[in-house]
Amino acid sequence: MFPHDGQSRARGLALKQTAAIARATLVEAIQQPVAFLILLSAVMTTLLVPVFQFHRFGEDGRLARDSGLACMLVFGLVLAAGTAGRTVSGEITCGTAAAALGKPVRRVTFLLAKALGVLAVTMLFWLGVLCATLLAERGSAHFISHIEYTGYVMDVITLVLGVAGVAVALLVAAARHYYGRRRFGVSAFVGVVLSQVLVVLATGFYNRLGQLYPLLGEAACLDSGADHAHAAGWVFYHPELNLRVIPVALLVLFALAIFAALATALATRLPTGPTLAICAGVLLLGLAGDSLLIGAPFWSVRGLVAGLLPDLQNFWLCDAVARGGRIAWRYVGAAALYALTCCVLFLGAGCLAFRERDLG
Amino acid sequence: MPASKSPVIETRGLRKVFRDFWRRPTVEAVKGLDLTINDGEVFGLLGPNGSGKSTTIKMLLGLLRPTAGTIRVLDSAPDDTHAKACIGYLPEVSHLHTFLTPRETLMYYASLFGLSRAQAVQRTRELLAMVDLEHAADRAVGGFSKGMARRVGLAQALVNAPRLLILDEPTSGLDPIGSREVKDLVCALAKGGVTVLMTSHLLADVEDVCDRVAILDRGVLCAEGKIADLLRQPDAVRFEVEGLDEPDAAAVRAELEARTGRRVRQEYPAMSLERYFLQVVAQDGQQRTFAMAPFLGATLSAPETAPTPTSNSLPMT
Repeated sequence: MFPHDGQSRARGLALKQTAAIARATLVEAIQQPVAFLILLSAVMTTLLVPVFQFHRFGEDGRLARDSGLACMLVFGLVLAAGTAGRTVSGEITCGTAAAALGKPVRRVTFLLAKALGVLAVTMLFWLGVLCATLLAERGSAHFISHIEYTGYVMDVITLVLGVAGVAVALLVAAARHYYGRRRFGVSAFVGVVLSQVLVVLATGFYNRLGQLYPLLGEAACLDSGADHAHAAGWVFYHPELNLRVIPVALLVLFALAIFAALATALATRLPTGPTLAICAGVLLLGLAGDSLLIGAPFWSVRGLVAGLLPDLQNFWLCDAVARGGRIAWRYVGAAALYALTCCVLFLGAGCLAFRERDLG
Repeated sequence: MPASKSPVIETRGLRKVFRDFWRRPTVEAVKGLDLTINDGEVFGLLGPNGSGKSTTIKMLLGLLRPTAGTIRVLDSAPDDTHAKACIGYLPEVSHLHTFLTPRETLMYYASLFGLSRAQAVQRTRELLAMVDLEHAADRAVGGFSKGMARRVGLAQALVNAPRLLILDEPTSGLDPIGSREVKDLVCALAKGGVTVLMTSHLLADVEDVCDRVAILDRGVLCAEGKIADLLRQPDAVRFEVEGLDEPDAAAVRAELEARTGRRVRQEYPAMSLERYFLQVVAQDGQQRTFAMAPFLGATLSAPETAPTPTSNSLPMT
């Protein structure tokens, strides 16, 4: 029945352990009130930007998009680093890491599983904020030319649905907690993400004027770029979302993955506070990496800093999608490889640091 | 325990020096410890606070790196995962994920041992019944009392049906019934061939269940051996007689004093408070059930009758 009977194979066991530890990390992280507050802040800030922005000069969508992506990066950094700090450093301090490593779990397996758990939290957060960003961009004022209306119009329905989705998710989480004794934090976190995904899917059923599909020809045509393509016949489902944001958001996710790996590695030796501070420093220096390198010899302090730190400018390409621009998927693939390399290096260093760590 | 049995734990010249952030030595917790624990033994590690008991246990589990010396656990290095698959460990403080329920906690630890879901579910059900936590199986551990958390900790230590069980202060935080149950469980496991290493501040607990003990003080092994050998008073003999009335007792005493020319002390032994408590609880009409009893294959050792008041104990000095 048990592994020491010789029925278990090392690889299968390691995978099972990785899944169990990563899952526990994910559940622990998202049931923390602070994780939910970070998600809620990022989603609500993103959704409300189109409502409160002034003097827009026709750049409403861009402002909403850039704000959403900035929220994704900054709040995501805090979430990834904070979760890693709490789940690794906190568990070393409180003894749950020792309890797990008293079982047949290798330290490398434990740390990689923790990193995967942190990454899973970050991806859930990312998905929620990505959807909120898509909704915010669609909801912000756009110039349309239609048989019934010409001029700037805000898609209030989409924004209201986005905010209402958050409210419903909270109510459902509260009801599950009250009646089913389910964890509020987990239900609320997953619920908010799910609500944004559902609203994104629902936007395909109506246009910016609030008219329900199917609509025929001219009636369906809102003069906003690509929407012309649908004017020829019946339109049944058209989300009118700027899907060019997805590659940009993927790049931000890669940056967050790097921070998750860095924070996990740091947390093997440092408490959460210093881990967060170092990650914030790496963010600032990483974004300034290109400027640091300009005119700097290779063997100089500036060159060394720029060489050692991940160049985060590679992952911040909001401007590339302005005015109809696109990011090539090939670039996204290259960025993914770069991010993967950074993650492997950071986690490798983390494994070395954790290997000799005394677990009291 | 037969001395010919193979050693399950063996340390030679084990040292541990803790260092600060700058790698400066702060304290030497264990100083050259030589220890051998044989297969099937119940071994007690005793010592005051800071004597190095928990540090030794953590080194045995590979959680702390020894500064010097060698460790063999189940004929392997301490961080060997194959050996660890056969070890159950109850830490000094039940380090549990506070957001998990006991059921989830046991499922989590079962998955760390590679049990299939069906096996894990079955084992979890058995262990929850054993530690009497079925009624609280779906409440978060964070809201538990220390004793309840201890029971969860004990259950997780047994999730893999270990060959070697390491218990750091196992009765800490438990009520007398729980404490008695744990001690009986240890005895039952030992009968089944499980080797047990336990530490405790409660010396009576160790005395009740251990075959051999070692006493550590400031990291140094001060004494080691079978409890009976360590506690024997070679210059004293004790007789116990049941049903001896007062005149006979006086006559025996006088005869012994006359024969030996030494003073003979006559006592009426009292039961221990633990024994009395268990007896009261067992007789209070509530028919209290002992949760672990079915798993031990016998009723627990709550006394059925009070000791006879005519028992005499005659230590002769």
